[in-house]
Amino acid sequence: MSRKSLDRKISRRKFLGTSAASGAALAAMSTGLSRVSFADSHTIKIGFLAPLTGPVAAWGKPGLDGCLIWADWVNSKGGVDIGGQSYNIEFIGYDNEYDAAKARTGATKLIKEDGVKFVMMLGGDTWPGVQEIAAREGMLFSTLLPSDLTPDSTTLLAPCEVHPIYNVTGVEWLAENKPDLKTAAMCAQDDALGKPSVATYLAAFEAAGIEMVDAPLFFDPATTDFAPVMTRLLAANPDILCLDTCYADYVHPLCEQAFQQGYQGQIISCTADFYQNIIEKTSEEFMEGFIFQFPDFDDPALNSEGVNFVNPNEFYAEYAKRYGASAWSAVSWEYASIMDLWADAASSAGSAEPAAVLEAMKADGTGKHAFGTADWWGTELFGIDNALVGNWPVVVIEGGKATIKEFRSIPAWWDQHKDLMIKHMTDLGQMWNQRG
Amino acid sequence: MDLLWQTAVNATYAASYMALIAVWLVMIFGVMGVINFAHGELYMVGAYCVVFLYAQENFPFLLAVAAGLIFVGLVGLVMERTLFRPLRDNPLGGLIASIGFLLILQTLAVFGFGRRMGHVPPWTQDKFEVFGAILTYQRLFVIAAAIVLLAALWAFLKRSKFGRALRACAQDAEAASLQGISMNQTARIAMFIGAALAGVAGALTAPLVSPTPYIGHSIIVTAFIIIIVGGVGSLEGAVIAAVLYAFVHTFVTTFFDGVVANIVGLALMLAVLVVRPTGLFGAKERA
Repeated sequence: MSRKSLDRKISRRKFLGTSAASGAALAAMSTGLSRVSFADSHTIKIGFLAPLTGPVAAWGKPGLDGCLIWADWVNSKGGVDIGGQSYNIEFIGYDNEYDAAKARTGATKLIKEDGVKFVMMLGGDTWPGVQEIAAREGMLFSTLLPSDLTPDSTTLLAPCEVHPIYNVTGVEWLAENKPDLKTAAMCAQDDALGKPSVATYLAAFEAAGIEMVDAPLFFDPATTDFAPVMTRLLAANPDILCLDTCYADYVHPLCEQAFQQGYQGQIISCTADFYQNIIEKTSEEFMEGFIFQFPDFDDPALNSEGVNFVNPNEFYAEYAKRYGASAWSAVSWEYASIMDLWADAASSAGSAEPAAVLEAMKADGTGKHAFGTADWWGTELFGIDNALVGNWPVVVIEGGKATIKEFRSIPAWWDQHKDLMIKHMTDLGQMWNQRG
Repeated sequence: MDLLWQTAVNATYAASYMALIAVWLVMIFGVMGVINFAHGELYMVGAYCVVFLYAQENFPFLLAVAAGLIFVGLVGLVMERTLFRPLRDNPLGGLIASIGFLLILQTLAVFGFGRRMGHVPPWTQDKFEVFGAILTYQRLFVIAAAIVLLAALWAFLKRSKFGRALRACAQDAEAASLQGISMNQTARIAMFIGAALAGVAGALTAPLVSPTPYIGHSIIVTAFIIIIVGGVGSLEGAVIAAVLYAFVHTFVTTFFDGVVANIVGLALMLAVLVVRPTGLFGAKERA
């Protein structure tokens, strides 16, 4: 098509008209607003700014679904008591599609238009879009990814998931229970979730005396065919295949490829969302012993003393009833557990204002983490003590079912091996003072 | 040596489905003068036909693939009639309309199947070894289907009356019209076959990927690189470029990493554009 003919066929009015219409349509599509309940005068609004669509949606949407259960339970009991007044909780969802620019738009909308008192995020690549607004507005934010934390992000908390640091517990358990496994190969998507997790696994493997047979293999997040990735990983015949913090869209085909290319060794991964589907694509035998970090909440081990998540088994049953058991993902409970912390802090402060809640939350340097009392920690790794770190479960697939094998202490590992973690984080440019 | 063979097998599979997708995108552009940005979403719709019919409704896999081929072909006909024909004299309008249509298809997929990836159980887990490399029957089936379909297309274009009409329109639409070739009918055929091929590629590979409503994005980017390397308007160029790109990308992924492979793939496109701006097999002047 020549330029001349193109110019001839498109009038200025047509071009502007179609451009405006397309722009409006795209804007409407990308906004993706989701108001999930209705407010009244005694309602506090909480922002949910996470990917609800796209490849990372598995770590956003199931969390919002969990929050709806949390809100229904809390509101049905009269709401949250703040300063002698009961308040219902309303979640305002905004789909940032794991895009920093959309996250910025969403944060502005949630704060300025909706008047939310707290914003929960997945974080990662979306946090840089929001950081300036958070600082300017003094809004309290939470992230699931403490690698977002910096000394400047004083109103950002990582109160639940200490990704990727908890991955050390899986490697530590593996080394203790399967000491004959001595070599590993690892792959990860090349993004803000993959890289700090790679550094963590490298530190954990080194601490455990497990040797990497090859440098970590990074792949483009747009990858759809994982056969070449798996061929490379298996080329050096590792004892352990580490899938880092790959998204579910990658973990499934990677496992399938490992199965198809004849791998019979140990697999360790941060997550194994919808693992029943992986078993269906491979086999129960192939997935036996698969280690990851996120339990199903029907696990009886969660009823043990010290676990702070309220009624975990009932929560799982309600989640399965509403959305189906196969919809359960790593984050289904996490945002709800953050709300437990927020509600306790707001009640304690007698105010829902962000500064008051933040102060109450960190008042004595500890907090009721879902898996037990934990410390506000992080200065050495993140430049600020805004990550709530304590125990984390090691989960193993046994007989086709995720089973908690043990709760292990992250701070205990850190005390012994922090130099290794800092070294590998630094090598990959993931320390707080290296991130752009 | 096994690693080399395994990589070659992986690359052959990648070349197969890439060629299926890219080859008729070229023809649609040639015949209709439209850059169809929704072509990746047609692949996605084909994949979801298998998700629905095979994974959810338990129809036989081959029946689901055939249904995907026909259904996506019909979607192509709807696109031709409602979008591209009214905008035939407005290429930019056609391009924008295809972007709008891809958003509609994505949204429909989200409404119909949710935002999560679709789960498609394997139709077989059998595999065999060839020179030390493992090839599953699922992948072999995609390779074989691509060869058969591309061969049938070649025969159709070279030997049939409709095929000659399509080639004539692709070379010079105005001259073809003067010879009595109906542009409407030619565009219908081109769009049906093009969409059906993208759909069948999606349907065949659905058990091997994680179908999501957004999977078309990465597919269309790859397809455009292949078309530019092969030469806009050249079917042979698209096939050869698909093979070339798939082998380069797969080998670099295996021996370096996936991020470097993307850079090398784009560098290959740039190199071709610098040395031969019309692409490897592109003509200097095309309608």
